[in-house]
Amino acid sequence: MLLPTIPEAALWAIYFAPLLSFAVATLLIGSRRPLDAGRMTVLAVGVSWLLALWALDSSLAVDGEALDIAPHNWVSLFNLVVPVGVRLDGLTAIMLVVVTSVSLLVQVYSTGYMRGDHGYARYFAYMSLFTAAMLGLVLSSSLLQLFVHWELVGLSSYLLIGFWFHRPAAAAAAKKAFIVTRFGDFGFLVGLLLIWSKTGEFDIAAINALAPTLSAAVLTGFTLGLLAGAVGKSAQFPLHIWLPDAMEGPTPVSALIHAATMVVAGVYLIARFFPAFEAAPAEVRDVVAYTGGFTALLAASMGLAATDIKRVLAYSTISQLGYMVMALGLGGYVAAIFHLFTHAFFKAMLFLGAGSVNHATNSFDLRRMGGLRLAMPVTFASFVIGSLSLAGVFPLAGFWSKDEILLDALHHNRLLFVAGVAVAGMTALYMFRAVYLTFFGAYRGGEAPAPGHGDGHAGAPHESPRTMWVPLAILTVPAVAAGWVNLGGGFGTLAEGALPAGLRTFEIEVDAVVVAASTLFTLGGIGLATAIYLYRRPAAELIRSRLGPLPRIVERKYYLDDLAETVVVRGLLNGVIGRALVLIDTQLVDRLANEVGRATRLAGDALRRSEAGQLQAYTSMFMLGVIVAAVAIFVLSGNVLER
Amino acid sequence: MLTLFLLLPATGAALLAITRRADEARAKWIALIFSSLAFALSVLIFVRFDPDIAGYQFVDRFTWINTHQSGFTVQYALGVDGLSAPMVLLTGLLSLASVLVSWRVELRPREYYAWLLLLESAVGGVFMSLDLIQFFLFWELELLPMYLLISIWGTGRKEYSAMKFVLFTIVGSAFMLVGFLVLGLAGGSFDIAVLTAQPPQQALVPLSLVFWAVMAAFLVKLPVVPFHTWLPDAHTDAPTAVSVLLAGVLLKMGGYGILRIALPILPGEARDFRVLLAAIAAVSVVYGAILTLQQRDLKRLIAYSSVSHMGYVLLGVATMGAVGLSGAALQMFTHGTITGLLFITVGLIYDRTHTRQLPELSGLLHRLPVLGTVTIVAGLAALGLPGLSGFVAEITVFLGALDAHPAATITSVFGVVLAAGYILWALQRVFTGPPAARWAQLTDATAWWERTVMAGMVLAIVAVGVYPALLTTAVESGVAPIAAIVGAG
Repeated sequence: MLLPTIPEAALWAIYFAPLLSFAVATLLIGSRRPLDAGRMTVLAVGVSWLLALWALDSSLAVDGEALDIAPHNWVSLFNLVVPVGVRLDGLTAIMLVVVTSVSLLVQVYSTGYMRGDHGYARYFAYMSLFTAAMLGLVLSSSLLQLFVHWELVGLSSYLLIGFWFHRPAAAAAAKKAFIVTRFGDFGFLVGLLLIWSKTGEFDIAAINALAPTLSAAVLTGFTLGLLAGAVGKSAQFPLHIWLPDAMEGPTPVSALIHAATMVVAGVYLIARFFPAFEAAPAEVRDVVAYTGGFTALLAASMGLAATDIKRVLAYSTISQLGYMVMALGLGGYVAAIFHLFTHAFFKAMLFLGAGSVNHATNSFDLRRMGGLRLAMPVTFASFVIGSLSLAGVFPLAGFWSKDEILLDALHHNRLLFVAGVAVAGMTALYMFRAVYLTFFGAYRGGEAPAPGHGDGHAGAPHESPRTMWVPLAILTVPAVAAGWVNLGGGFGTLAEGALPAGLRTFEIEVDAVVVAASTLFTLGGIGLATAIYLYRRPAAELIRSRLGPLPRIVERKYYLDDLAETVVVRGLLNGVIGRALVLIDTQLVDRLANEVGRATRLAGDALRRSEAGQLQAYTSMFMLGVIVAAVAIFVLSGNVLER
Repeated sequence: MLTLFLLLPATGAALLAITRRADEARAKWIALIFSSLAFALSVLIFVRFDPDIAGYQFVDRFTWINTHQSGFTVQYALGVDGLSAPMVLLTGLLSLASVLVSWRVELRPREYYAWLLLLESAVGGVFMSLDLIQFFLFWELELLPMYLLISIWGTGRKEYSAMKFVLFTIVGSAFMLVGFLVLGLAGGSFDIAVLTAQPPQQALVPLSLVFWAVMAAFLVKLPVVPFHTWLPDAHTDAPTAVSVLLAGVLLKMGGYGILRIALPILPGEARDFRVLLAAIAAVSVVYGAILTLQQRDLKRLIAYSSVSHMGYVLLGVATMGAVGLSGAALQMFTHGTITGLLFITVGLIYDRTHTRQLPELSGLLHRLPVLGTVTIVAGLAALGLPGLSGFVAEITVFLGALDAHPAATITSVFGVVLAAGYILWALQRVFTGPPAARWAQLTDATAWWERTVMAGMVLAIVAVGVYPALLTTAVESGVAPIAAIVGAG
């Protein structure tokens, strides 16, 4: 509206700017000027951010309708033609703004947080790679292109979780994240193969346009495949187990990748193919909705028991992603995207706040914190605002988007509505539990700084340097106000521009039941947290002792990690199947071959009795072959002559 | 030009043979010069190859054995098309790489390099032969240097492994020779182009038997389950350079033979058995991958992963469709570079640690950042990460295969999950963790030959991954006529 329509080259530049900084930062690894890597990453993401605002402006001008940009050919092999291109519609524009804004602030924060780390340049190389891959993902106009970047964000996630690779827990968490999400990607890939086999198309718009004409079986296979991918990437049950462990990565990574951007890629994927999901049988949407609803509930319960501030936030993220997935299954496209949008800001802020706390205390353990509100006023204020927003207190950002989801649930599925309201109450409870344990009461000592990382100080906690608290302060603005962008329905219109006209159903609606129920449960959760963790009436230990084995089960993550790692991988795959195949391979296949070989060698020995040496063994074999050949030729050519 | 490609390494080998023992220090330079020239020539062949021209290019041909009374001739005939040009390039690249990684070989270097160069000529001959008998001769010629290289310069149970390798191949190729003879007599020619243009309709024995006789050699070479057990033994005991060539080039002779000979000359039989082939492929992929997960020796681990990855080649073949066949051809090239690089880095690591046992290795990335990073890149390529070349080949195979063989394809796609498992597990074991005192003295790859070979291989992997058209235009032109023959009907 303010600027001319963004040209295609500028859209590509959004992607290539951080890619270039990845290349240059990689070259700076091991150099004497690692700080340049940080500066350059900030600069590159800054460029992307400005261009993303331009893209938003262009998209707003056309109400989020897709711009007409022709794709290019990446591969052309017979009928396999893989287009690559940039797509700009309302959904992409929103994602671009979210990704570049959060990324820019996190990179600035990282220049402070990572200062003094041995791997400073390597860190920014990986962060640039991630930002480029994530921007590539949301800009992709073709499914295969999207998949490529989907895997690349997975790679950068892997590299960043395992950034401190000297820590075995970090290395294990990185591997777990990659492999668990690969199970989901398996489904994604099969869905991709299926849709191409049936339609010959990779173009996202074309697939969505063709969806209503496809058979129910194909659509079911395709959408369930996409859902599998989303379940892995967005950490939905039962593939959610990687995300809490992923907190082993540096905290700015958790903020950017494992809260605001990469983990919403699954939500984005379903939203991107929303027309296909709408065309698919209703049962598919039910599966989507119940997966999300169940995950939201399950993760919220685990958030109540976690003792690590980052894990509380991680479970919270899983739970909120569950909200979004549930909304998509219920047809609440705008609600899901809206929540994705607001969540990105306040959750990133909460993580950066946790990082700031860690900077002061060297700990993420809630049991070692306490009383930090006076020492760290900015961190404290932003963390409380983030918690209120996440809990969904009027009029902060989370309130608007969460109520939008609950409204869709109320209209379509009462059971999920009840679950959603319960999650709202639990969210308020676990967040304020974290707030009270971290910032109130007496300081419980922190931990000694870890070797190899940074300029952490033991002793009295203090506010973080300016590069860290300024991004926190800035993020309070969207954490408070991001929900207001849809007061006039502008956000909904923009987001729906990505959908075909027939699916644009968003209208502004306020429902007293939803507002009352969610507010009641939210305030109840905050009140309960205040009673237990501030006034200790009743004390947490007392409640715990009354609940029997339940807390233990929750703390052990419902034994789901054990099931996956011990039973499936170690027991079944490596244990039973692996051992059985090794046995078959050595005792049957190889032995059989060796026996045949020995028999042959005995025959060979007989032939070379007059000779000596290994070489002759070969020669005699060859001679034997030649004799066989000669005889064969003789016999066979005789036949040919007769014919 | 093609004859020159065969003569260059052979001349180098001959020169080495007449080099005086006192000049052994010069041996590696002679090998380097000749393998570099051959590599340059292979690049030239690949670049000058014109995908718009149908049929073979740069053909060198004369009649070698002419037996008029029985009505057939044996020719010396070389040529390349879009299928063989990438294979020749791969041969040139990996042969040069294998000379470079042998830079520190001290045991009888004259003979070592001579056999290495002769191996290059033999393998190059296989990829360029246009005549069945000639193909067979080059196929057999490769055995002698391989046998000697493993049994003399190898480690561990080297004689056993070398003999096992030879015997498996010999048994397969005995069947192949019989098959070739029957085909040549039935078709009245041993010329591959002639036989392809007019596939024999009947022969002395049922054509399906001929098909399996020919396939026997190729499937053993590829290898597929259950004919794969020679491969882990050969790899484990072979010197690094030989592992590189074995995994990188020699296995591809199997896939190449199927695409060049079995499919176009026996299209009806190939079609009849395609479901069986797809089943063998899927079993190889998953069986190989699960066994890879069980390995504790890095070289055995990569060897088993090769069994799994060559299953994708066979799956592509079994589609009998243009896209799947292209995927198979692409997979041969990309697996050659990726697994070649894996064997190179594992060899360089072994040179330093003197162990390949996973339980003994840990935290190596602290001491070996360059070597470790390159290994990680190669590992990521092996698990099919987009942006690297393995992904391009695998996705092409899968896209081509889903319609033809849904169950086998989905099973094989699951191999990608398992690949992530064994690769990342191995990388974690070897490279991560706190710095270990035992490895505190290791030095990273700093020698020019180490850096050159790794940089070149990484470049090949990244270039094809980012810009597949480098390879796909050639492959498309090579696969088109084959797909037209087996795809029809």
